[in-house]
Amino acid sequence: MKGYRKYFLNKLAWFFVTLVCAFILNFILPRLMPGDPVAAIVSRLAQGMSDATGVQAIYQQYADLFGTNRPIYEQFFIYVKNVVRSDFGFSFSQYPRTVADVIASSIWWTVFLQLPAILVGWLIGNFLGALAAYRRKGFDKVLLPVSIFASSLPAFGMAVLLLVVFALTLGWFPTSGGYGFDMIPALSWGFIWSVIVHYQLPFWSIVLITIGGQAIGMRSMAIYELNADYVKYSRFMGIKDRKILRYVFRNAMLPQVTGLALAIGTMVSGALVAEIIFNYPGLGSTILKAVLGQDYPLISAATLIITLMVLVTTFAIEILYGFIDPRVKAAQSEG
Amino acid sequence: MKHTLQQVFRSGKFVVGFCILTAVLLIVIVYPLIVPTPPLRTISQGTFVPPGIYVNVFDSIDSATHYTLDLDDVAARRIAGRLDEEDRVSMKEWLVASGIEESAIDTSDTRKFLDQWVNNYDPGKNIPGMTNAKRNLYARLDALLDGILSTEGVIIAAHDPDTGVLEKKGNIEQSDFVNIGQLPNVRILPLGTDNFGRDVLAELVKATAVSLEIGLVAGIIATLIGLTLGLLAGYVGGFMDDGIMFFTNLFTVIPTFVLLILISFSIGQEQRGAFTIAVVIGLTSWVWTTRAVRSQVLSLRNRDHVNLAKLSGHSTGHIVLRDILPYIASYVVMALILQISSGILSEAGLSILGLGPKTSEVPTLGLMMNWALYYNAHVNGQWWAYVPVILVIALISFSMNLMNTGLDHVFNPTVRD
Amino acid sequence: MRSKCLAIFIFLALTAILTTACGPAKDEVTQSTGEDPKVLPRKETLYFNGQQFGPVVGWNPYSTSNNNAMAIVLQDNSRVTMFETPYLYNMLDGKVYPLLAEGDYSWNDDRTILTFKIKEAAHWSDGTPVTAEDVAYTWAAHVRYNTPAGAANKDYIDTIEAADDRKVVIKAKRDREGKPVNPLIVASYVSTYYVIQKSWTERLEERAGGDTAKFLADTAEDAVYSGPYHRFFADDSKVILVRDDDYWGRDDSMWGRLPVPKYLAHTIFRDNAASAVAFKKGEVDVSQAFNPNIELLWLNDRLPISTYLPEPPYNIGTKMPTAFYNLNSYGLDQVAVRKAIAIAVDYPTVIANAVTNQSPTFDEVPRSLMNPTSTEQALYDHDAVKHLQWEGNDIDGARKLLDTVGIVDSDGDGWREFKGRKLSYTASCPSGWSDWQSAIEVVAAAGGKIGIEITTNYPEWSVYQTIVTKSDSPLPEGYDIFMMYTTGAGPAQPYTRIRNLLSSEWVGMAGNWNGNWGQYSNMEADTLLREIPGETDPGRLKEMYTELVKIYLTDVPSFTLMYRPEAFHAVNETIWTNFPHQNDGTDPPVPPLDCTDGWGIACLYNLTLVNP
Repeated sequence: MKGYRKYFLNKLAWFFVTLVCAFILNFILPRLMPGDPVAAIVSRLAQGMSDATGVQAIYQQYADLFGTNRPIYEQFFIYVKNVVRSDFGFSFSQYPRTVADVIASSIWWTVFLQLPAILVGWLIGNFLGALAAYRRKGFDKVLLPVSIFASSLPAFGMAVLLLVVFALTLGWFPTSGGYGFDMIPALSWGFIWSVIVHYQLPFWSIVLITIGGQAIGMRSMAIYELNADYVKYSRFMGIKDRKILRYVFRNAMLPQVTGLALAIGTMVSGALVAEIIFNYPGLGSTILKAVLGQDYPLISAATLIITLMVLVTTFAIEILYGFIDPRVKAAQSEG
Repeated sequence: MKHTLQQVFRSGKFVVGFCILTAVLLIVIVYPLIVPTPPLRTISQGTFVPPGIYVNVFDSIDSATHYTLDLDDVAARRIAGRLDEEDRVSMKEWLVASGIEESAIDTSDTRKFLDQWVNNYDPGKNIPGMTNAKRNLYARLDALLDGILSTEGVIIAAHDPDTGVLEKKGNIEQSDFVNIGQLPNVRILPLGTDNFGRDVLAELVKATAVSLEIGLVAGIIATLIGLTLGLLAGYVGGFMDDGIMFFTNLFTVIPTFVLLILISFSIGQEQRGAFTIAVVIGLTSWVWTTRAVRSQVLSLRNRDHVNLAKLSGHSTGHIVLRDILPYIASYVVMALILQISSGILSEAGLSILGLGPKTSEVPTLGLMMNWALYYNAHVNGQWWAYVPVILVIALISFSMNLMNTGLDHVFNPTVRD
Repeated sequence: MRSKCLAIFIFLALTAILTTACGPAKDEVTQSTGEDPKVLPRKETLYFNGQQFGPVVGWNPYSTSNNNAMAIVLQDNSRVTMFETPYLYNMLDGKVYPLLAEGDYSWNDDRTILTFKIKEAAHWSDGTPVTAEDVAYTWAAHVRYNTPAGAANKDYIDTIEAADDRKVVIKAKRDREGKPVNPLIVASYVSTYYVIQKSWTERLEERAGGDTAKFLADTAEDAVYSGPYHRFFADDSKVILVRDDDYWGRDDSMWGRLPVPKYLAHTIFRDNAASAVAFKKGEVDVSQAFNPNIELLWLNDRLPISTYLPEPPYNIGTKMPTAFYNLNSYGLDQVAVRKAIAIAVDYPTVIANAVTNQSPTFDEVPRSLMNPTSTEQALYDHDAVKHLQWEGNDIDGARKLLDTVGIVDSDGDGWREFKGRKLSYTASCPSGWSDWQSAIEVVAAAGGKIGIEITTNYPEWSVYQTIVTKSDSPLPEGYDIFMMYTTGAGPAQPYTRIRNLLSSEWVGMAGNWNGNWGQYSNMEADTLLREIPGETDPGRLKEMYTELVKIYLTDVPSFTLMYRPEAFHAVNETIWTNFPHQNDGTDPPVPPLDCTDGWGIACLYNLTLVNP
């Protein structure tokens, strides 16, 4: 176990260093964008003011409020202090809404669209890939090209085609929104059903492409494993396939799990295309609007969330690897 | 090397992918030579002209090229062209609502039906519950029906250049036909025009070329960076490895697309040429390649021939170039192909968001998609503006992925069928 | 093994789908006061699109940055769904009709004092009557807190006082000779700005503690209103207003009945394409979005969709998106260059391609300073300026113009030079404004045809607006030819529009949202503009306006690219009908302003269901 503890501590150390650097970067990057967001807000508010001093006064007021007139390191410390108190500040583009408010109202939609979509896509994709690797022959010959094609379709292409075919032409699914255009969110069966129905097209547009990619990946890994020596040996020994497969797929899944972790980590940023085409509420388009409106606090907060999620999931996976994959443990204890 | 190439070209999948890609490249190179329309030139006054064969009406009026053909149902077709079944049903509805007995209306007897209509239609009549849209529909139909049953031809007249008086120049009978082959001005627009009035096919070809270039540049940059960093991290190891992995992790953790959007926005429209975008994409998508190269190099590092080279006293650079690089070359080629295809997709994604290269310089696939969506092409059923774009992107991606899979089969014999 | 896998995955998928349903219900629901519906009854709701992009931020009638398009929009045809103005402007006949006011307003003889009375029946949502003191206090607050309304009018309005409970007296600012500085603007105040309750304003002031920023940034969820609708629900996906059945306007002295729809709802769409899809499906009744090729929806798809006019231009044009020249750019100080580019642009293509024929063409409405409405077109002498107007596409004429003044291509590179330096410009407009971008592309193409290099650039709106509105220094590079809007139809038009286009008083302003962003300066125009507000003789006014048109078409400091409706107005008559349309017989005629602006709100009282 001693070697394992060293592995764990090593990973933890890098986790924290990465976190700190990422945090600093998250703060700096939006502020490197050219242009002055306060000037944009002020010019909107100062419409019709003919004297320069009036405009200046308002500019000063907002610059003070948002803290943009202080040197950047001072702004950074204020930012850190506030974040620790979970105060992410005001959103520039939606002033006077707070950043926390803006993100809270959209993040759940993104999570509940992306998480199941990624999981389902991953499960189905890996399942099909494994099946193809095991069965080979006919099934495989069909699956592989279809999967390749499905994963080659650009995300927006899939979304637009689904929209045009299933929603506009056939009318089987609604065309936009997270829930019925005439509904108000409430805990009623009607509302829940409406959410489910509106969920379908964005969900499938993500899943279908994910399946393609996962199937290909899993298929190659599984084939590689199936041709490994231990499999051939076990077969000669007469061990039933069912028992062998359990080990084969467990080995094949490891790299896929890393991929899953990364996908889950970055999912918060991911559904931008589906959100735009299907007018689905979510964080992706909020971030886009924030960038276009030079809304530093919102961008920083959103990227911080993404950063944290990716770090946590990657770290969790690396620890999990340590447990699952004995080779890692072995390497550490000998190293 | 020669043997590898032979094997590569024997792989079915690779060949198919390669053929598709070559076909696309050929079209992209040859088409502009055959059809020299500048792709960004506005050729139609009016948006989204549908695909088809466009015959210059002015030329077809010229009486020297007329033929008189006596064909059946010319008149019936003409009437059906103006007044289809649904229109007749609408007109019947109006007649019924205005008080005429339903049994007295027979929509198939055109002459009688039209007589009934002409005698009874009154645009000012107020029918309760009729929407404005319906009101306008009837007004339109009524205007369309003017002279629909007449068998007379039309007279062509032009202003006399000297006196300005309208003079008869000729006439056109309802049985006059022209031979398309004899007309000087016939233009085929296989994919119609887009919202700017540009020829979609010409634009698509040019856009494919630009997108391929962008993909190539982005892919090469990303692969070079990935290769270098991966080699250094994998081979040199130690602190260099930790450092580069740390740097890579940082890039993983900051979402690429947000980074891409930020950089794109910061550069500003002015500087955003196709090449700049390609560089930006390349600079943000090397992470995966680095990881992959690094893991390959790590496993190679302990191979016998490498140890042998080390013992022989060769310099690090020499070992890397001679003993490691050739073994991962296949992997790098595959990575390059993937990077190129993902570069094209990234550019398309950026353009859809409005952060791609400048609209007026060069068209790209993403930009064409962007404008089609802006102008509601998908709402108005103008499929020619966006479906070919999607198919081309999918086709290029598909062919590259096929090539990749084929290469995979060649370099990893275990996965071969 | 396989069945187990399958079972697991089905279980996970189901869980996933079910958890989805539970998650978003965490969204806020306003306090349920009794029988609040969870589903808006379709036959009692009027749906809108194209007004609101992004979530509502506030309900404060003093602020202009609430991003609350359904309730608070201050313009010549102000939106009077929640808050009301004393008068309503009708852009179809150019008159104002009383809303909160009773009868017409009256001027004294030298137009320095404007008086009107408040209707007896008018009352606030809390039951108290609307009084003249409310009007006076609103103005006082505007001035004290330097709100956009205050800033825009304080040079023209001296005081607003309550002579008694219902009589309002507005005193105009006078110049040194005792004449009113600008009676036109004073008169337009009563149809543009809301009357806000005094006691609520006092509560707001207390909350803000005298701080202007706080005063304007207050979200005002407790605002007291006099209009027929108020807030029902607002989140990131939609805004819903609900009718107040106690609305004072059902009194016979005003409408005599309540507006027909119980709810006004606006789904928040990401972009135009998504909102167009919903409109096509009948999920939106009234569309203020620019729907390209809208005629295809009723010609090809046979949908019950229509616009005010059945044929192009489909709507009544009142605004004139204009391409401004930066007069400090090299070569653009030469009239020949400006005019040459302007006459070479292919306007038929701009109108056919950029706005898909939703604008009258320049041979239907020859260019001037007036919008296409008959009221404005009658204000200038058409024959006198005929020789100055152009229709566009005049490549030969442009070339001749440039050749005559000696601006030729002397070094053979294909581009003309002026005094040895190549003429090269950047034409720009905000990114994402698709019809403007298309128009700018046509302008750039025209340059190419006459030998002047014009490239295009589309900065983000937030950057664009900050740069263009800074008129206290020359514009930076990249803004040689740039597009901006003009004002539409209003009681002080076309005076305000012409002033915005030609007056040099805006040059030198740090936050110039008025106009003349190219920084043009012409003394004769300035003099005429100073005199027009005080002039009452129609004959003399016509002469003055004609003179201004002549100056504009001769100097070409900017040029109109197309006409644009006051508001796009298209309706889907699946559920509701009897919207305003040409020759609909209403008197006064109801303008097509999406049923919410100025006199256009009368539409809400005339609506009927298609299938009751």
